[in-house]
Amino acid sequence: MDELSISIPRLLMGFGHLALILAAAPLLQGFIKKSKAFWQMRQGPSILQPYRDLRKLLKKEELISEHASWIFLLAPRIGIAATIMAGLVIPNAWGWAPLSGWGDLFLFGASLGLVRLFITLSGLEGAGTFGGMGSSRELFLGLLTEPALLLGLIVLAFITQTTSLQGITSGLETISPIFIPRILALLTLGIVSIAEMGRIPVDNPDTHLELTMIHEGMLIEYSGPSLALLNFAEQVKQLLLISLLAQIVWPSGLISGSNGLLGLLWALGFAGVKVAVLGFFFATVESLFVKRRLFLLPNYLATSTASAILALVSLWFIRGQI
Amino acid sequence: MINKGGQSVRKLLMTLSLALAGAGLIWGIVMTRGGEWIKTGFRFFTGEGAGLSLTWKVDGLTVFFLFILLLGQGLSSLYSIGYLKEYEEKKKSLWPFFTGWFLFLGSMFGVLLADDGFSFLLMWEMMSLFSFFLVLYEHEDPQNRKSAYIYLVMTHVATVFLTAATMFLYSKTGSFAFEVWAGVVPMLTTVQLNLLFLAFFVGLGSKAGFVPFHIWLPYAHSAAPSPVSTLMSGVMVKVALYLFFRLVWLMLGPGPVWWGWLFLLIGALSALVGILFASVQSDLKKLLAYSTIENVGILGMALGSAFLARSWQNDWAMNLALVAFFWHALQHMLFKSLLFMGAGNIIQATHTRNLERLGGLLRRMPKTGLAALVGIVGITALPPLGGFWGELILFQSLWLNTLELTGGWSKVFLPISIGILALVGGLSLATFVKWFGIAFLGQARSNVAERAEEAHPVQFITPLLVGGLAILSVLWPAATLEFINLPMSVLRTGEVISIGSNLGKPLFMTSVYLILISLLTVVVVVLTKRGTRRVTATWNCGTPLTSRMQYSATGLTKPIRILFSKAVGSHRHVERNFVESSYSLRSLRYEGRSKEVFEDVFYRPLIHGLFWVASQIRKLQEGSIHLYIGYLLITVIVVLILGR
Repeated sequence: MDELSISIPRLLMGFGHLALILAAAPLLQGFIKKSKAFWQMRQGPSILQPYRDLRKLLKKEELISEHASWIFLLAPRIGIAATIMAGLVIPNAWGWAPLSGWGDLFLFGASLGLVRLFITLSGLEGAGTFGGMGSSRELFLGLLTEPALLLGLIVLAFITQTTSLQGITSGLETISPIFIPRILALLTLGIVSIAEMGRIPVDNPDTHLELTMIHEGMLIEYSGPSLALLNFAEQVKQLLLISLLAQIVWPSGLISGSNGLLGLLWALGFAGVKVAVLGFFFATVESLFVKRRLFLLPNYLATSTASAILALVSLWFIRGQI
Repeated sequence: MINKGGQSVRKLLMTLSLALAGAGLIWGIVMTRGGEWIKTGFRFFTGEGAGLSLTWKVDGLTVFFLFILLLGQGLSSLYSIGYLKEYEEKKKSLWPFFTGWFLFLGSMFGVLLADDGFSFLLMWEMMSLFSFFLVLYEHEDPQNRKSAYIYLVMTHVATVFLTAATMFLYSKTGSFAFEVWAGVVPMLTTVQLNLLFLAFFVGLGSKAGFVPFHIWLPYAHSAAPSPVSTLMSGVMVKVALYLFFRLVWLMLGPGPVWWGWLFLLIGALSALVGILFASVQSDLKKLLAYSTIENVGILGMALGSAFLARSWQNDWAMNLALVAFFWHALQHMLFKSLLFMGAGNIIQATHTRNLERLGGLLRRMPKTGLAALVGIVGITALPPLGGFWGELILFQSLWLNTLELTGGWSKVFLPISIGILALVGGLSLATFVKWFGIAFLGQARSNVAERAEEAHPVQFITPLLVGGLAILSVLWPAATLEFINLPMSVLRTGEVISIGSNLGKPLFMTSVYLILISLLTVVVVVLTKRGTRRVTATWNCGTPLTSRMQYSATGLTKPIRILFSKAVGSHRHVERNFVESSYSLRSLRYEGRSKEVFEDVFYRPLIHGLFWVASQIRKLQEGSIHLYIGYLLITVIVVLILGR
């Protein structure tokens, strides 16, 4: 009975977490698009446009390649499910994550890996060149980003002495924001996030040009509800990465002394502002730079790995352990 | 009539093998419920005579590996019932196979049970020889003969080191018993101890497939018939790793810190080299064999972490590293068996091992494909399956090891090995997307792939069963931990703590994750079920699509080959023939290859060196009678001086 009274509110909080992620993801996408339009001196589509796009796609007829197998339809569904699983370990606006325990930072990376597995497989489904090209490049990028992502998070785990993401963000509250290892780890994660979100200079989310596309290449055979799911999964992943970064830059749980509904709303609004600022930042980066050639990317991503290692060395150095 | 007789023999013998494995498993599970002998060991066979005393022993450590062996035996026996049918149809005698099969399995049992140096070496040698015969079973193919030859040479190089170590310990103690050996270890000098360790490391490491002693493995594991490949990759490498525990961990003791570093370094190197070479292979089974090297490397890293934690007296990290080792050993056995079975089905259906000629098999072999999909999720260490949870525990152990250290550069190198593991994970994702995606998805790339048909029912039921077992081990982690507890209680000194309660919540996450992600997928599938679907052609800029327009196996991992071109020794040769000017091409020949760098940088100089030494020694034998009389004279003088 006692366990029940603990687990039911937790379950409800879990659903709240889930609903928040799902509802906010397209909004963030719309906001980033709007920010890019701002830099390009355009008016741009409404912030709510991504919702409309998703609704439209969900209603459309779905075309399936004659060469495709059941994995073609399964991949988007597993993709969204695994992205949500990754979301369950990311602490939300109130600094709380539904699944937390030791090692959940690895769970985050691996869940995104599962998405990558299925989407790269689906790229090979259509038996065309574009899909294969996208898969090949995505796999290449994946092996470059994964070590950097993990090393960056590991450094934070060493700083806060826990491998739970929830623990990391709450532990960071007591660490100075200009602590050198923290800044370097943040740099790592920032660079990796750009690659994981498929943004310039790694990938260009706005084109279907054969020369530039990576993510879009894999999705080229998709249409209708499956495409909606894949786009949605990408938006959710973007929200997760940005809110993780936001929590690392400026960790905030429930603002103390203000419990109750007002406190909840206040924390939510504060987190929303943080995420929006970071979203605007990434839109600015995207507007300032050009997409780089595929084989220049190893250097770019090696920078992030190097800065993670530097963060590690500097951490032990500052703590006098080397 | 004769053919029919052969068929019943095949079914009879393989069912016998299966039944033996099943009986062994059930008996083992019943026996291991409690009992002091798990920790102390139980000697059940002692024979004396001719100055030798032979003992066989079972304890918790043995039981775990026996469990892996029996499970592997049962599954591959079941699979063989279907697989061997093809040889029967080709009228190829199966008797060499059966003989090798039972003797190979028997000798692996012997290696696990041996409690003295003599029976260990005897059984080890038998294990090598009978697996050699099995590799040679399809001897019609000259490639297989070459593979078997390399295997034979390498395995004996390994045995030389083990024999040397055995002889040394025998000369010190006058006994072969492991127990007596363990007694003498504290009396050894540091140099002797380290040399012993290195001898064991090279000897056992070559059988396990550590880089740079790995070169035989991709040849031998891929040349053998598929059921034998499952045994070699799934079980035999673990038997070699088992001996690291028996001979190094338990006998030579904790040892200096660098032992742990050596394991970690060689493990990381093996993992990286293994998966890098796997990613550029286009041969179905060779790719899997290289991936075995990768997984042995991961197990080596777990061993390294355990050894390091042991010398740093970091009990918690050591426990985690050991759990990670046993967990991963079990999972790798399951997934690698599954994938080799899948590869076997493809090879029987298409008679080719070349990925470039496959494609679109998922529609023609749906059940094999389903099993293989489970296999690749497991082997690439992705959740929700078991491969990931093992690596998670290993990550956690490396992390804890680093955190608990008081200082030193180890605090940087250990986390870098986490980064290397992540890189290995990324590479293995690329490798297995290639293995599965090129073989099963898209369009058929040749006639043989187009005509492929689903294998004999036993041949897809078995891998599906393996997949089911893998899922069960994740759904019910407590049961898996029970098995891991057996060797743990032998390896750890001090009181026995149940790991289940110690690991606590994180391990139950395995089942929570699996259930949640399945639920979510089902919900999404149900929600998006409505709407119409239409099958159309693939969009190809308005031109007709041919099967050659898809990405090839080589093309898919081309970026990796370019990035790591030095490491994988990629080589490209283009020949252009022009008609008159350089604008009209008559023909173009392209050849891309990657080669075993280790053969070039390590083995070729070694072999050349050996030949050089041999040729120098040959100068002694000039053929001149005067010289030989001179030798005799010198010998007599030396003997006289020595015997003075």
